[in-house]
Amino acid sequence: MGTAEGWLFSGYSVTNEDIIALWSDQLAPLLPILHAIHDRDGELSDAALRDVAKGLGHPLADLYGTVTFYHHFSRAPRSNRSPRVCTGPVCRSHGADEILVSLDGAVAMPCPGRCDDPVPVLIEDRVEIHRDSHVTTPPSALPAPNPAGHEECVFRHIREPARASLEGYRSHDGYEGLNRALQMGADAIRDCITASGLVGRGGAGFPTGAKWTAVAEADRSPKTIVCNADEGEPGCFQDRTIMDYDPHAVIEGVLIAALATGAQRAIIYLRYEYPNTYRILENAIREAEGAGLIGVDALGPGNPCYVHLRRGAGAYICGEETSLLNSLEGKHPYPRNRPPYPVTNGFEDLPTAVNNVETLAVVPKILVHGADWYQGLGRSDFAGTKVISVSGDVSRPGNYEVPLGFGLLELLENWAGGAPDGRSIQAVTMAGLSGGFLAGEDLNVTLDEPSIRAKGGFLGAGGIMVFDDRRHMVEVARDAMHFFAEESCGKCFPCRVGTQRLHERLEGTQGPREAASWHEEVRDLAAVMKATSACGLGQAAPLIVESCVKYFPEDIDAHVRAGGNQNV
Amino acid sequence: MSDRPTLTLDDEVIAFSPGQTLYEVATAEERDVPTLCYDPRLEPFGSCRLCVVEVEGIRNPVASCTMRAEPGMVVRTATESIEKYRKTLVEMVVSENREVTVDPLRGYASQELSNLVDRYDAGAGRFRGAQSGVSFEEDGNPFIHRDYDLCISCNRCVRVCAEQEGDYAISIKGRGFGTQITTEFDGELRDSSCTFCGQCVQTCPTGALADRKAMRAVDLPGEVEETRSVCPYCGVGCSVDLLSKDDKLVGIRPAMDGPANEGALCVKGQFAFDFVQHVDRLKQPLVRSADGDLVETDWDTALDRAAEGFRSVLARHGRHAVYGVASGRTPSEANYIMQKFIRVGFGSNYIDNCSRA
Repeated sequence: MGTAEGWLFSGYSVTNEDIIALWSDQLAPLLPILHAIHDRDGELSDAALRDVAKGLGHPLADLYGTVTFYHHFSRAPRSNRSPRVCTGPVCRSHGADEILVSLDGAVAMPCPGRCDDPVPVLIEDRVEIHRDSHVTTPPSALPAPNPAGHEECVFRHIREPARASLEGYRSHDGYEGLNRALQMGADAIRDCITASGLVGRGGAGFPTGAKWTAVAEADRSPKTIVCNADEGEPGCFQDRTIMDYDPHAVIEGVLIAALATGAQRAIIYLRYEYPNTYRILENAIREAEGAGLIGVDALGPGNPCYVHLRRGAGAYICGEETSLLNSLEGKHPYPRNRPPYPVTNGFEDLPTAVNNVETLAVVPKILVHGADWYQGLGRSDFAGTKVISVSGDVSRPGNYEVPLGFGLLELLENWAGGAPDGRSIQAVTMAGLSGGFLAGEDLNVTLDEPSIRAKGGFLGAGGIMVFDDRRHMVEVARDAMHFFAEESCGKCFPCRVGTQRLHERLEGTQGPREAASWHEEVRDLAAVMKATSACGLGQAAPLIVESCVKYFPEDIDAHVRAGGNQNV
Repeated sequence: MSDRPTLTLDDEVIAFSPGQTLYEVATAEERDVPTLCYDPRLEPFGSCRLCVVEVEGIRNPVASCTMRAEPGMVVRTATESIEKYRKTLVEMVVSENREVTVDPLRGYASQELSNLVDRYDAGAGRFRGAQSGVSFEEDGNPFIHRDYDLCISCNRCVRVCAEQEGDYAISIKGRGFGTQITTEFDGELRDSSCTFCGQCVQTCPTGALADRKAMRAVDLPGEVEETRSVCPYCGVGCSVDLLSKDDKLVGIRPAMDGPANEGALCVKGQFAFDFVQHVDRLKQPLVRSADGDLVETDWDTALDRAAEGFRSVLARHGRHAVYGVASGRTPSEANYIMQKFIRVGFGSNYIDNCSRA
């Protein structure tokens, strides 16, 4: 497959028509066309959008609206050259605001998933890390060795040298799961995955075996595997580490999923903010194609599977599977109404399994070591492991693979080194931001859904941000709600208006200054958002304010009394 | 009846047709389920969430407009908690707009939000905060007022433009509270693919999109009267409701129950009615006097003069000197009469219709 970059190096000046012609017959062409033009020009000009609309037969007004939905498509000339600075919760406590002011023409961006290595700055296609006036471009951090010697699954071989290459991958069980899968056949693969107890690791926790069975039994084709690599939740960066160091594990998982469901095509949808990961995945796919693992006989003679890599353009909601599918199809990335679900009406309205990166990376190991082995990795009745991203005020931020049911405090104190010297942990977030805060006695939970849900939050994709006793928790809550308000897609009313109103009330610029009315408004907003929002974003966003009220009532009351500019 | 599946709606067992949504079932059973993003002509969108109902076995309330009825469902349309959510939602929507009360001349659906505010007593001014939407009053087109300060981002305008008209002239830009209805590159409607059919105006539930021509009459005295009529422009026969104040035609609305148009109109039927009361409008037939001036006369005289003219042409030049072109505005029956008139009356096959041009 040719690329626009290849042409650029040859000295030929690539036209919009060239780019459109290159992609228009391929799967999910809109995003790659826009990216190729954007990379070439540093912007998406009116003229370029007119060409794309004409070339794809896409209504221009709709294309324009869709382009404006994404953070990282620049519309002003050369504006992708301006630095974009993460102002997420962890980066703000590491000087993000000062960096934003100090860099010429810099703009704020939502969390790009480098919470273990603050503060990331995105310039064109490059991620720089700015810290203490130093600028570096380090690769993702390898996960630290498991401090307690627990048996790992996802990270089992990730620290082996050259693991990202096909040769390195093959030297430790690489593609052995696929070999087993080819011998087992689709039904036995699904039975094995079902028996392992594996559930989706992206946060929703749907049983993977059941999802694959629904796709396998759906009667229309072609079917598609979509790997959701749009890791947009602030505080979650496990998928980046997996893809950077073990990309073939994800590809192998994709191929096994295709075999198990009867899919012959797969798409990896990677978030925009991971440009290094894009190159690593692109390379791994090319290697796998070269070895015949992807292509015309990938799943046995005459049984093809093609794997396509697509890049998002900066939108948290695109991690929601139906928004992601709309994004791939070039539509406005609103979530779809469900039912019907993607297993019957997914990509191009055809049966589709959307699986998260970590889920797919687990699959080959289950096939190699067996369902019982995986099931037994968890504590008590919980199956398997979960990679937890720990960041913020701990001595050793990073990704840790823990048995499900593992103690939160053991992870924070013993594995991640606890709060910095002389400090204590005041609160942590769950599920990145969307699971709200845990604090005080409630930190004494185990890392599994029942335990955390009993406290009002959820484990979700397994991101934990730690805030020590220096942090002002109402301000953290305000910033978190700002994120949800910025990222709300704007389709459903409770989320579009609710996230805005909750943010204003946490900011203190609007809303009652009298405690009882403030609490009543916040309670009513939270209740209607949780009950009636169309997708998980709006349903989960109120947990931040609810848990802040629960754990820090005095701080909240002081905040309400202090008030802001009242419009009353 | 006995073959139809059933479900339980507010403790009553109800038969429904497969494929119906819960909203359609509930409405057929005369439940007044509130909506703001719903237009029966459009694909269900599910954004306002006002139509949520409780379905046993499903944790959260579901949007009845997008949920298909299934046999055995147990549905409740107006429990105390559902009604509380609806009231809160209406209060939230009110809080993002400059005003709620708008003149009904703005458009067919323009009272939907203010009616819900009354129904839920939701004008208490709770949830104060920033307002969404930025009006585009400087759009100089003569037909469509773009008062987005009143917009609630229900997308009905965008959807009717795409789904009903196929024009795709408008879209949504941005995200979240910053969502804004726009055209390509934020331009004026006349620079877009807009055909000024006015369908966006008529489906807008808040009056954010408004009929500029009708709004000229907002301050005229008198009540608005509606008179059902048929659009005179073409042969389709779109039903319209003529809006008048004090016997003066002030605006036109598509009739949602019009059998030929089901609520649709084109720019002419929707906006081009000034001729009705124009000073230049001919109300009497005119014939030329001996010195060439046009003078008013009665119909008999005028038709006699026309017949006389045709006869003299036939006499001088023969039947092929006559060529008939029927108007595209006429119905089939009139077209039939016209071709008879040319063929039998003049003996010529020179008959055509302007719609062929």
